[in-house]
Amino acid sequence: MPCAMELPNTPDELAMQHKDSTVLKELLKDSTRWHSIPLLNYTPLHKLKDRTLVRFRGMIQDMMDPEIYLERYEVKAPDGSKRLHDGKYLDCLKLAAGEEIDYNAEGNVHGERRTLFLVSVPGLNDWSRQHEQQCGPQIEVCQSAGSGKKRTLDAQEEAMEVDEAGETSLKRQCVDEIKTGEAQVAGSGSSVLGSEYLINSPLPSRPSMACMVKVYEDFDSYQLNTLVDFVGFLSVDPSLDAASLNMEEYDSLSELQAAHPSPFLIPRLHAFGFQTLAHANPLLDSTLRQPAAENSDEANPSQLAVHKDLRILLKLCLFDDDLAAEYLLCHLISTVYSRTQMESIGKFALNLCNLPKECLQHYTTKLYQVLELLLPASHYLPMTLETMNTSAFAPKKDYETNKLVSGLLQLAPHTHLVLDETCMQQGKLEANGVHAVQHLAHLINNQELKCDFQYYQIDYQANIPVLVLSEGRSMLPSDFVVPINADAKAVELLDESLKAAHHYLQPARLQQFRKFLTTARLSQFSVSEEHTEMIQQEFVDMRKANVKSNADDLHGLLVLSRLLGIARGKQALDKETWQLAIEFEAKRRQRLQSLPKSSATQMRN
Amino acid sequence: MARRDYAQDRESIKTFLSEFCKCDDDGKKEFVYGSQLVKLAHREQVLITIDLDDLAEFNESLAEAVMDNCRRYAAIFSDVIAELLPSYKQQEVHAKDALDVYIEHRLMMDARTRNPMEQRDERNSFPSELMKRFEVGFKPQSTEKAHSIREVKAQHIGKLVTVRGIVTRCTEVKPMMVVATYTCDRCGSETYQPVNSLSFTPVHDCPSDDCRVNKAGGRLYLQTRGSKFIKFQELKMQEHSDQVPVGHIPRSMTVLCRGEVTRMAQPGDHIVVSGVFLPLVRSGFQQMLQGLLSETFLQAHRIICINKNDEISDKDAELTPDELEELAQDDFYERLATSLAPEIYGHLDVKKALLLLLVGGVDKRPDGMKIRGNINICLMGDPGVAKSQLLGYISRLAIRSQYTTGRGSSGVGLTAAVMKDPLTGEMTLEGGALVLADQGVCCIDEFDKMADTDRTAIHEVMEQQTISIAKAGIMTTLNARVSILAAANPAFGRYNPRRTVEQNIQLPAALLSRFDLLWLIQDKPDRDNDLRLAKHITYVHSHSKQPPTRVKALDMNLMRRYINLCKRKNPTIPDELTDYIVGAYVELRREARNQKDMTFTSARNLLGILRLSTALARLRLSDRVEKDDVAEALRLLEMSKDSLNQIHEHQKGHVPNTSDRIFAIVRELAGSGKAVKIADIMDRCTTKGFKPDQVDKCIDDYEELNVWQVNMGRTKITFM
Repeated sequence: MPCAMELPNTPDELAMQHKDSTVLKELLKDSTRWHSIPLLNYTPLHKLKDRTLVRFRGMIQDMMDPEIYLERYEVKAPDGSKRLHDGKYLDCLKLAAGEEIDYNAEGNVHGERRTLFLVSVPGLNDWSRQHEQQCGPQIEVCQSAGSGKKRTLDAQEEAMEVDEAGETSLKRQCVDEIKTGEAQVAGSGSSVLGSEYLINSPLPSRPSMACMVKVYEDFDSYQLNTLVDFVGFLSVDPSLDAASLNMEEYDSLSELQAAHPSPFLIPRLHAFGFQTLAHANPLLDSTLRQPAAENSDEANPSQLAVHKDLRILLKLCLFDDDLAAEYLLCHLISTVYSRTQMESIGKFALNLCNLPKECLQHYTTKLYQVLELLLPASHYLPMTLETMNTSAFAPKKDYETNKLVSGLLQLAPHTHLVLDETCMQQGKLEANGVHAVQHLAHLINNQELKCDFQYYQIDYQANIPVLVLSEGRSMLPSDFVVPINADAKAVELLDESLKAAHHYLQPARLQQFRKFLTTARLSQFSVSEEHTEMIQQEFVDMRKANVKSNADDLHGLLVLSRLLGIARGKQALDKETWQLAIEFEAKRRQRLQSLPKSSATQMRN
Repeated sequence: MARRDYAQDRESIKTFLSEFCKCDDDGKKEFVYGSQLVKLAHREQVLITIDLDDLAEFNESLAEAVMDNCRRYAAIFSDVIAELLPSYKQQEVHAKDALDVYIEHRLMMDARTRNPMEQRDERNSFPSELMKRFEVGFKPQSTEKAHSIREVKAQHIGKLVTVRGIVTRCTEVKPMMVVATYTCDRCGSETYQPVNSLSFTPVHDCPSDDCRVNKAGGRLYLQTRGSKFIKFQELKMQEHSDQVPVGHIPRSMTVLCRGEVTRMAQPGDHIVVSGVFLPLVRSGFQQMLQGLLSETFLQAHRIICINKNDEISDKDAELTPDELEELAQDDFYERLATSLAPEIYGHLDVKKALLLLLVGGVDKRPDGMKIRGNINICLMGDPGVAKSQLLGYISRLAIRSQYTTGRGSSGVGLTAAVMKDPLTGEMTLEGGALVLADQGVCCIDEFDKMADTDRTAIHEVMEQQTISIAKAGIMTTLNARVSILAAANPAFGRYNPRRTVEQNIQLPAALLSRFDLLWLIQDKPDRDNDLRLAKHITYVHSHSKQPPTRVKALDMNLMRRYINLCKRKNPTIPDELTDYIVGAYVELRREARNQKDMTFTSARNLLGILRLSTALARLRLSDRVEKDDVAEALRLLEMSKDSLNQIHEHQKGHVPNTSDRIFAIVRELAGSGKAVKIADIMDRCTTKGFKPDQVDKCIDDYEELNVWQVNMGRTKITFM
């Protein structure tokens, strides 16, 4: 068969050709095949056909209850003849006029599938979005001229197959019904739930795209808030919309509508292949086809050189403060690399304080603009009283609709959260605000997100580096507080230096930085036996010298030395890096000492 | 699988119902179901529950068949019972409601007008559902485990399953039509339509012979009084948080309750439901998804509220013999304690105390007086000594817990608030942290920074175990049976040993005395400890896991279940121990008076000792408190006091020991004289709270130093 080595284009083809799922898995391992599938994220729905192969990349936002469906079912035609049909990867039954399902037939097989609610990566920055879009093949596929040959062939095959089965008038041949469907979306006034509520973006100011993915196997390999790339069949049958039905007699109307939103708002995808993504950086993503030109253009400079350049850049943005630049760089490549029952190791919540008062107003946003260019995903949150009191921070279960209503903090791993405390005014923090602060503190301290299930709370592991920018010490906890030593001259020249920084970020260098940050974050680092002993001895001495030093200090030093080492392209800890970490910590402590002290800070130190 | 012979099963069910009996204590046979059938026949009972344990005893394969195909057998049982009932009727039954009258009336009419030979149209005959005034329920076998919702899968369809969870939503109880009765406006005959699903299409045309043959086109009208309704309620239940795997969302399930199983649970209740797992066919869905998808639900047969009835043992929570063996080792007390927050080194006594807090003492209610069993503990100490970690761990381990910080919580967070429902305008009480943790642990970090108003509420909670709210004209008392675990930082940054506890923590003595144990955790540089800590941390960083310890830490889940098991015990204190306890208490008081103690010893300590020792007995899964338990309780109390007092000794250098103090007394007694009678010394010393052996020791010590001489008969001492 010529088609045996190709991916199926429709569920029917899948049923016909690939009974054996391992063959399919093998096929999907080939990255060029994977790349050739259009990305639903960047393709307008009207350019895609119902029941064709598509991909969707996103974060698992919610998991719904399992569905029981008919995997195989028997259909009775009016003339009494019977046929067996496959129900896998489908939402609608295929019935010709007058045909009926025999629910009690012996040949019926019930199967189970799960629905995952995916949203496109929240906080994905513009450059990564653009890059992802460029990587996809979607545009050529949709303009049927491009891959027209194969497509039409398929369509014919499908038509033939249909003919054979004697189904000339498919009751729901959804392919051409998209137009009517769109009209329905516009006209579906009976919906009780707003589209914003249904799409459920974690960051309401930066709306995501949503997709409901039905999975048929490996149910336990999906975790909340992880990034996944799914391959499967698109399903946009207008009849999936609960709002289009007249079902006023149901008590749980809102629940029904939440479970079955309009497919044009939230398309369905019946998945048969997936890849979990370790990061959101499209430049280093093997599931994306990288434009060939960029890679070969120039020889990759050494890690050390990139590190140096990056430090220069950060220094420019941080009032010429070398120490702060080092810490910020460590923060940018930090990740939780290990968890024990109580601790998350590797977190590097940074508080940059003592920002010069003269340039508070615009500085924070300008600094974020630079970070935004470097990081694949990030979010800037001005901590005004209003946002604290009114925004939803942690996800909360809505039992009316059985949905996990998202919150600001439901972010994919490695999405940097930049909290701007300089926006905070005096005033009253209401209950919601108090909870928001608690959630933030819990996230910073434990790298866990508490989801509110009303009757209890469940902690979900998170990996969100938090950077707090504040005038004085932050009211939020943090692992490292670095007061900025602003050079008076640098303060004056801030605008110029920021401009210079932007100028410094030429496209090629920018790409290097972006790649550097992600590779560094994912790299391994080890500590030799010998150095472990040295560290242990040093800690004992440290304790002798200063009673106040405690376990947290050691944790901090270990994390800092690890990140300093990684940033310098090292794979194992050496004495030099350890000394550097000690030196930095000493300097940082000194700066902290010289900070004006309020009564609260006195208590803590 | 061979098809079962239903006719034969019918017969065996009949025999089972009429003949199954149990022997009671006197050896008398008790017909369990026979007696219930009599009650059913007399309309004194509505629900008959078939215990599958009994059925398995009678016929094992039948019981299995019931488990597998529950709905069908429910129908068979119901038919058999309907058949048997008339023979169990012992007296004339009075009609209870309109439907009874109606049925009776119909039966009479039927018997009077009907020609016995005439075959009546099937549709016009009475459906059996209309005549049955009872319900059949199954109780699963006691070996059946309660599943979590996620374990119930497609293969369970049609089977009897038992599921555990928490109710998140429930509808009002509504009437549901079981049999619709119609009358024809032309021929007057009655038509019945049994309804099996949630909705039905009413019949309009009269199917009776008269109308059909004559083509009279009789219209049918629904008779509300003649129709049979049944109570109906829909529940939504969700998994417990401990049943959810890491990184997953809790699952939910719809439970449909009919008849007598309605009104059994409310939102927030923890329940165990046994029922039949079935696909739900809804007309709207069929249209929408063309039948490809079916919703599922659980048709409840039995609902048990766990929080109302602690006696019901949850099969899931039972420990396996392996686990019990693991726990039953000699050092299990130490092991359990070290398994608490294993990453925090040392502090074994603190951990032991926390373990006892989790287990809790026994509540006592002598004549209306209520003595709490919950143990309250306050941890104090310098910043950075892992107090918060301990608290965090406990709140995670405890089945019900609240973690809150004194500073971060507003008044709403810690106490109960009166809220106005925006929809109905109703005033409702909304419990805060303490109420929600009822029967649990409330961990309060930064206790010292809590607002005074909240702290006053805690006074009441800690001793009376209730919380009173008087707001917006509503005055109410809610139960708050919680153990309080508080952590407090010293007021001056570090603990100042020269000041008293109250001064250091800045909490009133009245509140501090309510804690059974006060613990000061101190952070002192110590080479060995520091090295161990450093080793631990470097290990965690480079190996990404906990270092292997000598004693393997127990799994959190296992601990939880063991603690749960312990909580079911209610050990008593045997009389012979009371003297010992009283003696020990008197001793404590005495010591407190004599020493410059920075803590207090009050009657509350006595209760504390009782609580700790009952908790220790619970921990051993024993029904009796042993002397060792009391000794350990005393030791813990002693240690906790020591943790507060030890520093004083370090700081003050020379503290007069007991002998020195006794010597001072003797000196005083002797006055200007040279000889003192030992009996006098004894008298004086015991009144000052010294023990006879201490006095003896003092006499010996000073004799050795040649300060005085003791005469041969040991009645008198003479100063040299």
